[in-house]
Amino acid sequence: MTSTRRRPSRWSGGRGFALLTVAPATIVLVVLSVFPLLNSLRLSFTDQQMLSLVPPRFVGLANYAKLLQDNLFWSSLGVTAAFALSVLTIQLGVGLALALALHRLPRYRQFLATLLLIPSIISSSVASFQWRSLFDYSSGPLNYFLGILHLPLLSWTADPRLALPSLLLVDFWQWTPFVTLLLLAGLHALPSPVFEAARVDGSSSWQILRYQTLPLLRRVIAITVILRLIGAFKVFDIIYTLTAGGPGSATESFAFYNYVQGFRYFSVGYSAAMSYVSVILVIVLARIILRYMERPVGRPSASLTPPQAAP
Amino acid sequence: MQVGPISRRRFLATGAKAGAVVAMGGAFAGLVEACSPTPNASSAGGTAAGTVAVEIDEGQNANPFIWFNPDMKAKFGATADILGLPFVGQYEKIVAEMLTRSSVYDVLAFPPQMLGDFVSNGFLAPLSGLGNEADFNLSDVLPAYRDPNLRRNGKLYAAPFDGDILQIAYRTDIFSAAGISQPPQTWDEFLNIAKELHKPPTQYGNAFYAQRGFCYAWFMNIFAGLGGQWFSTDMKPAINTDQGVQALQMLVNLKQYAPPNILQVGYPELNAAYMNGSTAMVVQWDDLALKAEDPSQSKVVGKNAYAPCPVRSYMPYSRILAVSAFSKNQQNAYKVVQYMSSAEVSIKDVYDPKCGEDPFRESHLDPAKVKDHLGNPSMPAAQAQSYVSAIKACLTNGYPELSIPGAPRYLDILDLFVSEALAGSLTPSQALTQATNEWNSITTSLGQDNQVKAYADWVSSFHAAGVSY
Repeated sequence: MTSTRRRPSRWSGGRGFALLTVAPATIVLVVLSVFPLLNSLRLSFTDQQMLSLVPPRFVGLANYAKLLQDNLFWSSLGVTAAFALSVLTIQLGVGLALALALHRLPRYRQFLATLLLIPSIISSSVASFQWRSLFDYSSGPLNYFLGILHLPLLSWTADPRLALPSLLLVDFWQWTPFVTLLLLAGLHALPSPVFEAARVDGSSSWQILRYQTLPLLRRVIAITVILRLIGAFKVFDIIYTLTAGGPGSATESFAFYNYVQGFRYFSVGYSAAMSYVSVILVIVLARIILRYMERPVGRPSASLTPPQAAP
Repeated sequence: MQVGPISRRRFLATGAKAGAVVAMGGAFAGLVEACSPTPNASSAGGTAAGTVAVEIDEGQNANPFIWFNPDMKAKFGATADILGLPFVGQYEKIVAEMLTRSSVYDVLAFPPQMLGDFVSNGFLAPLSGLGNEADFNLSDVLPAYRDPNLRRNGKLYAAPFDGDILQIAYRTDIFSAAGISQPPQTWDEFLNIAKELHKPPTQYGNAFYAQRGFCYAWFMNIFAGLGGQWFSTDMKPAINTDQGVQALQMLVNLKQYAPPNILQVGYPELNAAYMNGSTAMVVQWDDLALKAEDPSQSKVVGKNAYAPCPVRSYMPYSRILAVSAFSKNQQNAYKVVQYMSSAEVSIKDVYDPKCGEDPFRESHLDPAKVKDHLGNPSMPAAQAQSYVSAIKACLTNGYPELSIPGAPRYLDILDLFVSEALAGSLTPSQALTQATNEWNSITTSLGQDNQVKAYADWVSSFHAAGVSY
């Protein structure tokens, strides 16, 4: 008996079909992300100025070399580092403490978690305008309370020593709840038998936190830190609204300085070079954090293993 | 090729990299998209035939368009649709829009400092090509606000809408009580009076615009009085000179006798600092006088006098009206520009306390015409006399704001370093040295020869108008 086997059409299944289904998303990605990225890489090797009558020239790595000698670039990097440091220390520390407290709450946990979402879902620009009123020297409530306490009034966003801490305070207010929620979700996902066993073994709360909770939570912490680090590198709205980078350049962040170069001075070549430096910095930082956080835990088999249902 | 399951670690690492690249690159993608010229492609926008889209810094300065919309509709069937932009940040938003040849704006209201860039990049339609120059009665426009602010390469590109100049507003009651008989004639005198009248926290000696954005203008105001100039004839920056350092040091010194939040003080805060009665003397745009004599806004009505700044008065900002080269409604846009700039209409808003436009025509300079847009007197006769006299005296020695290609960038850099000096992070000398270096880079990037010519043309236009520079 001879069987006639139909040869499958090239497009009816398998590889061809897979390519066809992937194509729209690929095209969108190439047009909207890959092409602009490659084009901006090309721009970073030119001295293109959008409003100059002088034609753009290929300048090789000159824009990158210029960055190294640009004082404003370095000071903006310092401001961004302050935001990043605040993420790594205050936001993570307070966020973790709040998440642990909420995790232990027997009631109202969901209600409080919902409340915590509010600062994060408010637009940064809107929040900044509210903070602008709060910081106002003569009519702001912060100075009103200082006055009641007979303390000297503060120029929150105008004093060069206070302006950056004031912005960090706004960033802390807006994003610490987000950190808390991510960590809270991570805590919920941890296997409870591990903690029960630790308690049976007589571990104290501190020991459980130090040797069980934090190691098991490391991956969630890593993702949280990376997300917020990206946020720190992009911080712009609150600076634009509250200080415009001033006084002087005291609060000019990396993203703000990049905006000034790209959109105020229209030096797109230089601005593109800055963008790529920031991309490289974020990737390197993310890599370091991931490497640190992915080190083997004492008993890796226990980590993130879903608890078995008891008979 | 066999592809094994991706490890969690690799997934996290790749995800983080991709996230970082997209997050950081995405912002720049927008920039590229926004800045790439797309010839002959008008973006969505434009307005109905009878509606003219007017770009202007939002707030009080848009009020005249709103007041006179019914009259414009009755006279030539067009009304203005206001598209407001922030006062600080207006330049980048206009340029980003115009680089895409967007027709979203029909009329542009902007300061002359931007005219050089807008003309050299072909953003504006010459008014002479749309109608008759005689429509604008230019002989009535004060010389300082005429050709240097309106023409480039011999063509009329804009019509005046606002004539800004800095002047001193001071409290006559406080001066009298301190035995001071006249406003300061020199900057040293200004400093001494500020020091003498400084009695915090109830009374501050002086206040000025010290916030980022326009603090450079208050530096230039002193620098001009000390004989400073923007550039040498070959475009070498002339700010880092003895006069420059002295002027910036003076501004830093004045900070000591100002309200403690002085670095937070911009235009509205400066008005408030004077009108709430806490400051004895301020240097501010001239429209403060109208507000200071308005009982609905001021606690110091009738206690003020006005004077020119010592030696010279700087002319920051001002507003001119132009027609976008990409407008699809240029004829109506032209009519709106002509109407709003006319002597008959502008006299109704330049003395109205509810807007910021200031006198720019000879025919405006009459104390009897100091009335709001409804025809009610804006201030008592004595104050009106003092105000108009001060404007005339200021204009005699007005010092022009830079208006060559790249001017907004030169000014923004200067502003940054003046702000650095005011914040105490740089000494005046260091600040001006760094500003000079940045100015040289700007000149190089825009083409040294182009800039030398543009600067020479601009200076000549002032000389031709009889303004000393």
